[in-house]
Amino acid sequence: MLRFFNNFFYVTLVVSFLSNAYVFSAEPTKVSPDFFEKEVQPILQAHCFSCHGAEKKVKGGLDMSSREALLKGGDNGAVVSIEKPDSSIMVDAIRHGERKMPPKGKLPSSQIEILEKWIKAGVPYSAGKVVAKHHGPPKVDAEARNFWSYKPVKNPAIPKVKNQAWVKNPIDAFILSKLEQNELTPALPAEKTALLRRLYFNVIGLPPTFEEVESFLRDDSPDAYEKRVDNLLNSRHYGEHWARHWLDLVRYAETNSFERDGIKPNAWKYRDYVIKSFNSDKPYNEFIKEQLAGDELEKITRDSLVATAYFRLGIWDDEPADRDLAYFDQLDDIVSTTGQTFLGTTIGCARCHDHKIDPFPQKDYYRFMAFFHGINSYGNGPASQRVVDGDLQDLKGVINPGRKPDIKKLQELEIKAQEHERLSNDINRQIGRIEDDFRAKLPGGQNDDFKQDIHKPILFEKHLGKLVTVEEYKRWKDLTAKREELKKTRPLIRETSLAVIEQGPKARETFILTRGMPAAKGDKVEPGFPSVMVSENIPELKIPEQDPTARSSGRRKVVADWIASDSNPLTARVMANRLWQFQFGRGIVRSSSNFGYMGTPPTHPELLDYLASQLVANGWKLKPIQRMILTSNAFKMGSQVSPQAAMKDPENDLLSHFDLRRLTAEELRDSILGVSGNLNLKKVDGPSIYPVIPREVLAGQSVPGSGWGKSTPEEAASRSVFVFVKRSLALPILQVFDAPDPDSPCASRFTTTQPAQALALINSEFAGEQAKILAADVAKKSSASPADKVSEILRRTLQRQPKPDEIERGTTFVKDSMNKDSLNEEDAIRRFCLIAFSLNEFIFLN
Amino acid sequence: MKNFCGNTRREFIWQTGAGFTGVALAGMLEDSFFKAQAAQPFNPLAPKKPHHNPKATSVIFLYMYGGPSHMDTFDYKPAMNGMDGKTIEVKTFGRGGKKNSGRIVEPRWKFKQYGQSGKWVSDLFPNLAKHVDDISFIHSMTADSPIHGSAMIQMNTGKVQSGAPCMGSWVNYGLGSENANMPGFVVMLDPRGGPISGAKNWSSGYMPAQYEGTLFRSQGSPILDLSRRADMTDPQQRRILDTLSQYNAQHALQNKDYSALNARIASYELAYRMQSSAPEATDISNESQKTQSLYGMDNPKTAVFGRQCLLARRLVERGVRFIQLYSGGAHNDDNWDAHGDLEKNHNLHAGETDQPIAGLLTDLKQRGLLNSTLIIWGGEFGRQPTAEYAKGSGRDHNAYGFTMWMAGGGIKGGTTVGTTDELGSKAVEKPFHVKNLHATVLDRMGLDPERLTYFYGGLDQKLVGVEGAEPIKEIMA
Repeated sequence: MLRFFNNFFYVTLVVSFLSNAYVFSAEPTKVSPDFFEKEVQPILQAHCFSCHGAEKKVKGGLDMSSREALLKGGDNGAVVSIEKPDSSIMVDAIRHGERKMPPKGKLPSSQIEILEKWIKAGVPYSAGKVVAKHHGPPKVDAEARNFWSYKPVKNPAIPKVKNQAWVKNPIDAFILSKLEQNELTPALPAEKTALLRRLYFNVIGLPPTFEEVESFLRDDSPDAYEKRVDNLLNSRHYGEHWARHWLDLVRYAETNSFERDGIKPNAWKYRDYVIKSFNSDKPYNEFIKEQLAGDELEKITRDSLVATAYFRLGIWDDEPADRDLAYFDQLDDIVSTTGQTFLGTTIGCARCHDHKIDPFPQKDYYRFMAFFHGINSYGNGPASQRVVDGDLQDLKGVINPGRKPDIKKLQELEIKAQEHERLSNDINRQIGRIEDDFRAKLPGGQNDDFKQDIHKPILFEKHLGKLVTVEEYKRWKDLTAKREELKKTRPLIRETSLAVIEQGPKARETFILTRGMPAAKGDKVEPGFPSVMVSENIPELKIPEQDPTARSSGRRKVVADWIASDSNPLTARVMANRLWQFQFGRGIVRSSSNFGYMGTPPTHPELLDYLASQLVANGWKLKPIQRMILTSNAFKMGSQVSPQAAMKDPENDLLSHFDLRRLTAEELRDSILGVSGNLNLKKVDGPSIYPVIPREVLAGQSVPGSGWGKSTPEEAASRSVFVFVKRSLALPILQVFDAPDPDSPCASRFTTTQPAQALALINSEFAGEQAKILAADVAKKSSASPADKVSEILRRTLQRQPKPDEIERGTTFVKDSMNKDSLNEEDAIRRFCLIAFSLNEFIFLN
Repeated sequence: MKNFCGNTRREFIWQTGAGFTGVALAGMLEDSFFKAQAAQPFNPLAPKKPHHNPKATSVIFLYMYGGPSHMDTFDYKPAMNGMDGKTIEVKTFGRGGKKNSGRIVEPRWKFKQYGQSGKWVSDLFPNLAKHVDDISFIHSMTADSPIHGSAMIQMNTGKVQSGAPCMGSWVNYGLGSENANMPGFVVMLDPRGGPISGAKNWSSGYMPAQYEGTLFRSQGSPILDLSRRADMTDPQQRRILDTLSQYNAQHALQNKDYSALNARIASYELAYRMQSSAPEATDISNESQKTQSLYGMDNPKTAVFGRQCLLARRLVERGVRFIQLYSGGAHNDDNWDAHGDLEKNHNLHAGETDQPIAGLLTDLKQRGLLNSTLIIWGGEFGRQPTAEYAKGSGRDHNAYGFTMWMAGGGIKGGTTVGTTDELGSKAVEKPFHVKNLHATVLDRMGLDPERLTYFYGGLDQKLVGVEGAEPIKEIMA
């Protein structure tokens, strides 16, 4: 690291009168008294103090933690010139001129401006106060609590702007006011086609059809756009799309990783729970409580129990070398995931020692962990599966809180119920297959009649020996009889699911573990919230006394209530920021799971607080916030970058335009299936699907193909959110377009560009297959000319009327392929479909 | 605090959506570590400057999946001679759990001394033994787990839990790739099957997918989706790409502010070039008969691994950074996991690999490549001195002490470091952890294991873990 500092101080710049500088400074820029504390200090804290704080050893001898020390400079002299602020070494360094600070990457331009302004103002500091103390045990004091994200959310005043006409709702006022301050103007609105595509993808993850775009273009009613926003938010596809965002955050997978990478039975029920929650606009605070303590709430429901599968989604070594350590690894996974996902907090980093940067002493980690210390280790079968539904009367005391049932008997019931469920599912599947086959052959009216059970045997018999074989029909009769039989023997417990299970009313004792080692027990601790997030004088937490027969310690309810409370400084901010992130491609805080010192500060702190306040004010419902974002003029901006913006704000911190974005892996796969006319939207829930994985990829397994089931082609063409998530085997088309590794939480996805993506879209079996389907679908209008077909393919993929030269180019391709490459027309069109899947206009959103 | 002041948090910024405009990237990339590529659209595999002068530029990791027995191969234990069948007190920990005593299985092969260094090597490796003066043996390796799944993940990623990037990913993250037309991290599997945990063993974990290991088949089309569909010719594919690029160029003109679009256009040409460069790399028809037999390709027993070793050399010549070859696949005796009949198992796997590895070392040396290529040999752990079952010679797993060796760039040949006790049951002198091995590899490649960090989950992650680890100085030239 020394290298950077040699660099930094290489050029000797003689700055005289240092000690007198303050006196001599002529007319410094005027700043408000709280400028340092509000604007400068957070930047220094986040980016400078880790090396230039008041440590025994500071880098390059430069201590920036007091005004005096800063003016003294470093080993090679002064870094700030009060007289000639512009030629200060520090200015050069933060601009990444000859020297480069911070070395890990240039600060956003807005922060550079703040620091320059500060230097011009003569580096005013808090009265001689040394602010940087992040080495050794981090101090949790008033100052730490004063960090922006730990302070209570304050509903800010809506700023006044000059161009009031642009303000459709308060979001716009916040965006515009910053732009105006920086003499920038918002981009012109996006074209309607681009806007509708953006809206569809952002809300439901699917493209509009050409017809939907056309109807939007024709619709000149004043609420044409708003109507579409509402329709999309009410579409069930909204939940399917937004659930995927959440599943990334909670490291959702359906297997355990490690040697066997065994299946987590019923994990998909959690996925369905998330979809359902988004679609019903479940208040976010309830969503939190159900996942963290769905088994400890006053009102326990089937869904609230399924939600606790949250705790069971992590990796699990069924054969660990060190069993104690493996148990704490599971708890660590829970602490880290919970901290990052709900609180934007990296408290997980304090497992082995005090957090090096953020104000989390190791003790806080273990106090936080103690909330979860009643949870039993993950295990196959009843250790992680529990009754979520059943005859509540007869099972009184079994799934009600506060009672401890006969565990052995309960487990027997649970196993019986699982077996029963498996059998019923199996029979239903078989019946479904026979019925689907048959129904597809029925003429219209009968096809409709067949939906009703009572008509089924009549129709089968009517077409016996023609549309259905005698054997098939007999099989159908046997199966339905068996199904009836099964209904009669249904156990009291009807359904089990992956869920959290504790050891009983008493949690385990929790000790601080030196260096995270289970054998090195330190002081005993009781459950507690991260101290920086609560006020100094908070009384010792009281966990309500549990009934001796209770199934759990009641601790998780306490932490869930705290996280989900209106006054938690982080929860609403973190979630409001995520909503923004998935609409604008980046959060107001770009590091959306890290709101700490090492995170990136908010580009629009007031807007973030406004959205957070609105989230709480709307009863934690997400759709009103989504609607507000989607109907703002900010969301409707085009993606063109003005020369001024390119120069002043190259990273678009100020949001002067809408950044172009690539489709996510799932959006891309679903779009390809969709435009090919092959996407199966009938699947809305249930066990996951297994699209075909090429043999070459299966060859990487020790037993090729193991753990990857078979789906019918129709099932396999369902939306990507239903694809089975196996930790050691990813579906190539999703993986290559940056679907995350599910072993740990993913707050925002990479957008890589790599040749493997090109290969996947041109050469893969998947692309080839879909091109064939699309070509065949287009060819159904057999009279159409190649030009018409090209045109139709472009219309479907781009959702707009193609221009004559675009049709011409495609037609030339088809003709050349036929004449010069001796392909028949169908094959030539098929090749053109491959081109269409690779069009940047198809893959990117303006 | 030095770890927080390094080349970190960059990826953090890519993934938070800023990494989109070329301009933005140029702004962010201006530190000396990444400066080389600032002018171009961001390519995470573009060559990067190492931290210090590298001793090696490529790695070939010969992975002996299943865990070869050290006392039957390179860790000579004369004290065990004549002890076969004796029950002794010894602490072991394998898949059969922890035990305090067991029946000794005397090494089944004779040992001889070789080379100037006089290194003892068993009859399992008569050819490889001739190279001992180029090899440095570490007899005191230890790992945290004696169970394949977690131990393999640790050997590949440093952690016993899955989700972290592999060593090959780290090396490519730190150095980039010298040949844009080839993947930077290539994995070749035993045709009998992949290792357990499959893709976790070449995963890039929380890093972007570019750093993931690419599976390379030694026969046929080497990479998934690399070859054109069977019914497509080269001119036909060219026509597709040309037409596509016209459409995309038109689109890019309307979106001039976004260099990502151009990067995507360029990636199709790169893919096209890979279609010829990767098969070229695996086409050995120009290799002389003499070379082929050097690798044992004329013997059916050694032909498969011989071909992979030859391909490894060809990949090194083409600038591939990290190549991992698996000897052993699938389950049971298809790999080195000798629980049943030790002799049968090790005769098979050593027999398949001895000549090819010796050939690789000879060939690299004669081409002047050994100096810049770091060779690693070993599995996820070793084996116990005692029998696993009441009958037979099978040995259970042993992570308390085992042998790995390194050769080539920056390695002091003809040396041995560390010892196990006289039975080989555990490391006693200078024990080294898997992390020390990883630190050595990074160091030899010009990377400082303490400074090669990647910001994820609120921490500057390292291959060698938060606590760090020293390279093994004793074997470094």
